[in-house]
Amino acid sequence: MLYALGKSLGSEEGFGEVKAYLTSPLAKFVIWALLSALLYHLVAGVRHLIMDMGIGETLEGGKLGSKIVLIISVVLIVLAGVWVW
Amino acid sequence: MVTNVTNLSRSGLYDWMAQRVSAVVLAAYFLFLIGYIIANPGMEYTQWHSLFSSNWMRIFSLLALVALGAHAWVGMWTIATDYLTPMSFGKSATAIRFLFQAVCGVAMFAYFVWGVQILWGI
Repeated sequence: MLYALGKSLGSEEGFGEVKAYLTSPLAKFVIWALLSALLYHLVAGVRHLIMDMGIGETLEGGKLGSKIVLIISVVLIVLAGVWVW
Repeated sequence: MVTNVTNLSRSGLYDWMAQRVSAVVLAAYFLFLIGYIIANPGMEYTQWHSLFSSNWMRIFSLLALVALGAHAWVGMWTIATDYLTPMSFGKSATAIRFLFQAVCGVAMFAYFVWGVQILWGI
């Protein structure tokens, strides 16, 4: 990711190269995979912050929260796939 | 027994807070960057370059990079002290865990220096 950032900021040709490379199916799949991991981590992390505030700390709340995290993550991951392709 | 000698601050409560503060910074950075790219489809080099040339974006990026290092250190420390234990590795657990944390530390430092070079090299 840093390599792509450095190349895309380094010169106009570098930016074009990164842009062209990102059109390949394999690169798109890798980007989607990275985005998926990040989105799930983000959603689960927000759940942690909410639970730190004392919300959903019971057994029932924990079960419900984990289901909500999974549903929101799946929706975001599908949307990310639509965006990447 | 695992001691807190390799955690970020030698204090569990401070680590707990550092993890959450860095998480909020990273969430803000990630959401901003994704939002910016979504809001500007078909972006050209000049716009991308000027975004990262502005002072506030450099500060924001550097903040995110520091937060990434701290966040990753706390996270990897948690994983290492939870799973790389004498229960799973016997006597060599401390050596394995130390090595793992050393690799993580070097990686985070390298990412930080590399990121600074990119941000200030343009």
